[in-house]
Amino acid sequence: MSMIRAELEQQTAQMKTKSISKGRWKLFRNNYDLYLLLIPGLIFLLLFKYAPMYGIIIAFQDFNIFDGFIGSKWVGLDQFEKLIHSEEFYQVFNNTLLISFYKIILLFPIPIIIALFLNEVRRAVFKKTIQTIIFLPHFLSWVIISGLFMNILSPSGGVVNHVIEWLGGTPISFFLDNHFFRSVVVFTAGWKESGWNAIIFIAAIAGIEQEQYEAASIDGAGRIRQMINITLPGILPTIILIFILRLGYLLEAGTEQILTMYNSVVYSSGDVIGTFVYRQGLGQQDYSFSTAVGLFNSVVGLILIVSGNELSKRLIKRSIW
Amino acid sequence: MHKKTIKDRSLDLFIYLFLLLMGVVTLLPIATVLSKAVSDESAVISGKVGIFPVGFQLQTMKYVISSSQFLTSIGISILVMIVGTVLAIALTALTAYPLSKRNLPGISFIMLLFIFTMLFNGGIIPNYLLMKELHLINSLWSLILPALISVFNMLVIKSYYESLPESLEESAKIDGASNFTILFRIVIPLSGPVLATIALFYAVYYWNDYFNPMLYINDAGLKPLQLYLRDIVMDADSSSALNKSADDMMNASPEGVRSATVIASIIPMLLVYPYLQKHFVKGVLIGSVKG
Repeated sequence: MSMIRAELEQQTAQMKTKSISKGRWKLFRNNYDLYLLLIPGLIFLLLFKYAPMYGIIIAFQDFNIFDGFIGSKWVGLDQFEKLIHSEEFYQVFNNTLLISFYKIILLFPIPIIIALFLNEVRRAVFKKTIQTIIFLPHFLSWVIISGLFMNILSPSGGVVNHVIEWLGGTPISFFLDNHFFRSVVVFTAGWKESGWNAIIFIAAIAGIEQEQYEAASIDGAGRIRQMINITLPGILPTIILIFILRLGYLLEAGTEQILTMYNSVVYSSGDVIGTFVYRQGLGQQDYSFSTAVGLFNSVVGLILIVSGNELSKRLIKRSIW
Repeated sequence: MHKKTIKDRSLDLFIYLFLLLMGVVTLLPIATVLSKAVSDESAVISGKVGIFPVGFQLQTMKYVISSSQFLTSIGISILVMIVGTVLAIALTALTAYPLSKRNLPGISFIMLLFIFTMLFNGGIIPNYLLMKELHLINSLWSLILPALISVFNMLVIKSYYESLPESLEESAKIDGASNFTILFRIVIPLSGPVLATIALFYAVYYWNDYFNPMLYINDAGLKPLQLYLRDIVMDADSSSALNKSADDMMNASPEGVRSATVIASIIPMLLVYPYLQKHFVKGVLIGSVKG
């Protein structure tokens, strides 16, 4: 009996998969035009996203442009050994982590505070004006922002140094001083994005139910209490999600930003992985070594963001993708 | 209306002052550079210019804006922005549509291929070598092509397509409409606002991009605005462009010309900013609903 039953079950299972695969084939045939629509996008994807990934093989070669991808000598992990023994790389890695940590610790809370405070403002005109102003720097390129800050921080005629001199200090060359360069990087990053990054928290606050505030108000809770006991917990999942996402980009300390700001005098404090790859690769034409450094960067980044996503799924049941 | 307590009032005061400070700190750098750009050259050189201009003049601004290199770079930036945005929004909107049909075989796998590129990429050097292989170094296509699909933007459009009522497409299908007809006659016309927002995302990206030009463009005649500006800002003393422009003009200090160039580069963005701000905020909110 049971054998017959098992056989029957097996047969129906087979028929099911057959009809499913037949159904899938039919679905494919009936919508072939949708697949045609995908072709340009897939060509883009293969050529501009996956072909460069194939190019990573030069990290395991001693690549030179004349022998190409196929002719260049394979050297295994030699480039990575060079990386581990490179003192310059430790310096760069250290700078990257420091700048990233400063940016996270000092800049992450600001958009949250801005959002909380904007929520308390009842005068619509004031609120709108402030928003319009603090969102603006997001739309300016790093080149323009460097131009602005090099100007106002200039030791000869910059407004900030005027104030320092007026207070009795000596002018500071902010962009040429290893004691100050990281602070400039962190401050300008905050200047550009703090306002804009508040949007996501403003939206989260708008999603909190109004009844909660009314109930708290009746219970006699003041506004500071309400901010701490209702608004902040209400946006906590968003804060955690954005924080985890931010940690995923730990090794991206602001390559495009620093490339517009730094110079050889401040390499020892401001050179980060991205700028190092750029200089070694395109400046020194050490293609293989800089690709190896880039690969190290990408792999660590991938691990960070995937584990961050797992963490977010467990903690707040939300997935980044 | 309940009466405001003293505690409430001082809280209000603190909040207003804090936000005001934020606004001032944001505007101050722009205001001081602007005042340098429109101040008398001798005042700029002697360092007398603060937040307000000293000896107002527009000669330096006029000079910078009418310089041929500035105009050329603006022209290139506009060209790259328009061609790039049109191609990018078209390709992104078309690719997002099949990807929104998650029940079709293979689609979820292709989606995965796209998403993976958000998490991992080849890096600077392989990208540079690819452009070299394609003979796109010193071609404006090197600025346009690599950015045609931003996966984030595509996800925003895709989730918008998915939010459209299914009944619309089904009834069209019963009437015998093909997938193409549905896409072009129903889905795209209904997605106008989100497509406009994403087009603006692309336009701002192309306009502000200096990284790709820095990698792929070294022909002085092909430099877009951001790269031209970078030359002036970064190589403060050695820039031939700047020295030449300062020499050509009798009284201009490099400082004044530099300030005026930075301001001239901000102006186009300021002109469209009120419009941009409205649509960008909307776009971020659509994106965050999904995310």
